[in-house]
Amino acid sequence: MDIHTYEKAWLGAALVLIVFFIATVTYGTVGAGVEMIDDSGGTVDPNNLADHERFGDPGVEQVGENEYEVNVIASAFFFRPGSDQRGFDPIRVPANSTVTFYVTSSDVIHGFSIPGTNVNTMVIPGEVAELTVEFDEPETYGLLCNEYCGFDHHNMEGTVEVVPEDQYDGGDGQ
Amino acid sequence: MSQPTDPPGTPPDSAIERELTHDEFDPIGTAVLITLYFLILVGMWLFTYFVEFLGNGPTVVGVIG
Repeated sequence: MDIHTYEKAWLGAALVLIVFFIATVTYGTVGAGVEMIDDSGGTVDPNNLADHERFGDPGVEQVGENEYEVNVIASAFFFRPGSDQRGFDPIRVPANSTVTFYVTSSDVIHGFSIPGTNVNTMVIPGEVAELTVEFDEPETYGLLCNEYCGFDHHNMEGTVEVVPEDQYDGGDGQ
Repeated sequence: MSQPTDPPGTPPDSAIERELTHDEFDPIGTAVLITLYFLILVGMWLFTYFVEFLGNGPTVVGVIG
């Protein structure tokens, strides 16, 4: 078959483009360490969260030198902890820390999203969403539900406070 | 008028100004335009992935498990 030179070049460039796309995503995974949220968090009984070791007393827990775990229950229409607007504690962690969020729902599907960042997951009743995030700089972030969950969905919000390390008071009992 | 023996769609001989062989056909303008589109596409991907996505930290991180 007689293929024109330009067409050969175009076919070659299209193949290179595909390899280039795959290479950049591979870099994101291997180099930058970006991870997709999967089902590794396991399952829970959404009707008995009070008896669960992790969600019976949700909050921030220090598990290593700069490592924290944050257990969050999303319910219509608040995050516990997180929704300081509804009387709950805000989520407060120190800067330069690695924080793993464990988020589950006690009722319907919610979202757990820190707007302006890539921290975002769906929260499904019976499932635990596990996501690890590195907070480098002190900053106050918002927290939003981004899955329509009922009549007051638009007010389901919270706060994630990343405070300077020397101002961090130790987590629970804030 | 074309000869009755010409296949349909063939221009009459008198209408052909210049005949090109396969390799002489050289649509350089189209090639330049496509190259330009290609570079825009690559540039937009680089911007979307590295600036808007990876630059939009914090990001969910982990070790490939």
